[in-house]
Amino acid sequence: MNLDKFNRWRKSLQTRSTIIVLVLAAVLIELTSLVQYFYARQGIREGVEHRAKTELQLKNLEIQRVMTAVETAVDNSVWMIEQQLAYPDSLRGILRQIVKKNPTIIGTAVGFEPNFYPKYGRWFEPYATRTEDGFIEVVQIGSEEHDYHQMEWYSKPKELGKGYWSEPYFDKVGAMKMLCTYAVPIHDSKGRTVGVVGADVSLDWLGDLLNAHPIYPSAYNLLISRTGKLMACPVESLILNANIHEATARVEDTTVNRINQQIMSGISGQATVINEQGEKDYVYYAPVEGETGWSMAVVCSDREIFKSLRQVARNLLLLMLVGLALMSYILFRTIRGYKNLQAISAEKERIGSELHIASAIQMSMLPKLFPPYPDRDDLNILGSLTPAKEVGGDLYDFYLRDEKLIFIIGDVSGKGVPASLVMAVTRSLFRTHSAHESDPSRILTLMNDSMAEMNESNMFVTCFLGSFDLPTGRLRYSNAGHNAPMLVGQGVGMLPVESNIPLGVMNGWRYPLQEVIIEPQTTIFLYTDGLTEAENINRTQFGMERMMQTAQTMYEKSLHSPDKLLPAMSDAVKAFVGEAEQSDDLTMFAIQYTKTKRAVRMQRNITLTNDVQEVPKLSAFVDEVCEEMGFEATDTMQMNLAIEEAVVNVMNYAYLPGTQGDIDIVAQADDLCLKFTISDSGTPFDPTARPEADTTLSAEERPIGGLGIYLVRQLMDSINYERIDNKNVLTLRKKLTSNEIVD
Amino acid sequence: MKFEGRLDTAAAPQVEKEMQQLYECDGHDVVLDCTEMEYISSSGLRLFLGLLKTAKPKGSHVYITGLNDDLRQVFTMTGFINLFEFK
Repeated sequence: MNLDKFNRWRKSLQTRSTIIVLVLAAVLIELTSLVQYFYARQGIREGVEHRAKTELQLKNLEIQRVMTAVETAVDNSVWMIEQQLAYPDSLRGILRQIVKKNPTIIGTAVGFEPNFYPKYGRWFEPYATRTEDGFIEVVQIGSEEHDYHQMEWYSKPKELGKGYWSEPYFDKVGAMKMLCTYAVPIHDSKGRTVGVVGADVSLDWLGDLLNAHPIYPSAYNLLISRTGKLMACPVESLILNANIHEATARVEDTTVNRINQQIMSGISGQATVINEQGEKDYVYYAPVEGETGWSMAVVCSDREIFKSLRQVARNLLLLMLVGLALMSYILFRTIRGYKNLQAISAEKERIGSELHIASAIQMSMLPKLFPPYPDRDDLNILGSLTPAKEVGGDLYDFYLRDEKLIFIIGDVSGKGVPASLVMAVTRSLFRTHSAHESDPSRILTLMNDSMAEMNESNMFVTCFLGSFDLPTGRLRYSNAGHNAPMLVGQGVGMLPVESNIPLGVMNGWRYPLQEVIIEPQTTIFLYTDGLTEAENINRTQFGMERMMQTAQTMYEKSLHSPDKLLPAMSDAVKAFVGEAEQSDDLTMFAIQYTKTKRAVRMQRNITLTNDVQEVPKLSAFVDEVCEEMGFEATDTMQMNLAIEEAVVNVMNYAYLPGTQGDIDIVAQADDLCLKFTISDSGTPFDPTARPEADTTLSAEERPIGGLGIYLVRQLMDSINYERIDNKNVLTLRKKLTSNEIVD
Repeated sequence: MKFEGRLDTAAAPQVEKEMQQLYECDGHDVVLDCTEMEYISSSGLRLFLGLLKTAKPKGSHVYITGLNDDLRQVFTMTGFINLFEFK
């Protein structure tokens, strides 16, 4: 499967699944909200219904209370009047009492049948009424103009034979108020209706009562009379001037008509109507208890009822949208964060594997094969490097050239990748500069100049460089700020070193040369400060004392050869450090000089002057030596060639032109090899430091010179130069094969 | 030209003088007969090389004959075996 396509599909899958999750969440929340909204509405509706009904009931009771009071008063007076029928003057008192006792009664009248009281004539209607100053006066108001017999308040009770509430009306003549009359017929002892007593009740208070404390600010109550007239209503102009049909006639709604019918029929119920703004109104209606035949309705608008619910719903929706936005933001960020994390992990893995490879490369730069010179009997070498991280800045290196062991140990400032890079450079420089130069101080100076030039990162390297001449045991060395090596031979001591400065610090610094003779069986122990500064958990350092103590212990048991000393030191450090983390690279490198003197079996010498014409003499000398050694003709010829080349070289270059000088040649043989030592006291001249001839060049490219030393190297097993006591000493060695060893 | 005996550093100056005539070969091939030569050192090799460097541009070939095994080994060691033609 195409990886790119797969990744894109996976990315879009992630996006899609995120979107799906979000959509599902939104839908779920919406559904929940809808359900909640629905139930909330339901609850509110029921609440409103309940409140409205309660309202109706309460107001009902209020009205009833008043009306009942009036009814009772009038009903009671009927009996009294019937008792006092014979005494019409006492009627005044009764009437006055009724009015006095009932604040809601404006006036009470009792009207009699025509000529019931002959002296009063046709019309007799005493009327007690409250005056403006609070007094109650009784006047007779019956007359031709005021023919009460025709009035509803008189005729209806008479007709019905019981108490009757008249339709409310506006009294323009008397009280100037909305009134309503309750009247009861009066009977004589024979049961004949002789008159009607009635009380006028002011209905002003009705409006205030009804519309006090509405259940909602914009809710209002309606009071409708028996005939459908509006008795109380927010629109004052409609009071008694319109009936409910007319008031609602503008709205063409059968629901409204039905409501009106129901109201008129004295049925209680509720309904929803659309008002003239097109919005819903809820109407709750119920009849007023009692004889009045009135009905009451409570009207409240849908908008107002559900106003707060709508607000809550709107807020909730807003909140939900905000919540969703937040959620999607968080989700996307999380996904991105996760992707980042994946990228970081991948990067970390990549770096980790690269470091592994770098570590392998670095390890391959170190000497690995031990023992490195198994066929030599004068050297034991062992080294080990344990880096603190995958790659580090410690280094050690060595190689044999012309019977000298050239070695270096170093420590780059810092750790990790930067130090390892400088370590690689340092090793290269060591190899390069020591190829044609045997003087450690010269090598260090050259290395330092190279490093200081390109050292932009201000890293520096401490190092100790040595050139150990194996035939003589002479160690030449130069130090650049590194730890002094330990010598384990005649006891345990430190090699005296000048510290100087590390490499790469100052261009042009001249490193001085030091030298010492190493006794056979001595081990030179080199190390970096990763050993002496190894810390345990108490932050104590291993230190030089412990190092020397460990060496001392091994020396006393004669176990100070590198293969025993290094493990012992390593164990000592491990035991000391314990659980603590390794903080620096740990490097140890030991060289033991095991040269044993062998018995000399043959020795001859000759001295020549620096004149090439002496060569035949030399040739004769070599022939003699080879004959004594039992060499074959071929080998003899080769010896001749090598010696001639070497000696002629010295003759040509050692002494200043024109100067005559001596050249001593000593031939010496032991069991293993034949060596020729050529010495002169000319200017310091090291033929081994010259670059070698390139035999692959064509005739045109070949230089004329450079063949001499090349031939010597090819023909002899080793060539070694030392400057001893102001003399150039060149030693040529040839290993003896079995048929040359002479008893 | 025939070489006899040891061509070492001591003998080289004399041999050089005698080889001068070979330098003026101008188109003729040169044959160096080393059948009787016992020994040659770097000085001698240098002379041979010098001759070759002069002869080649002039179009002359330089042939070496009669090289014994030991000497052949020296020529091999120094890479001179590739520079000259042998008969």
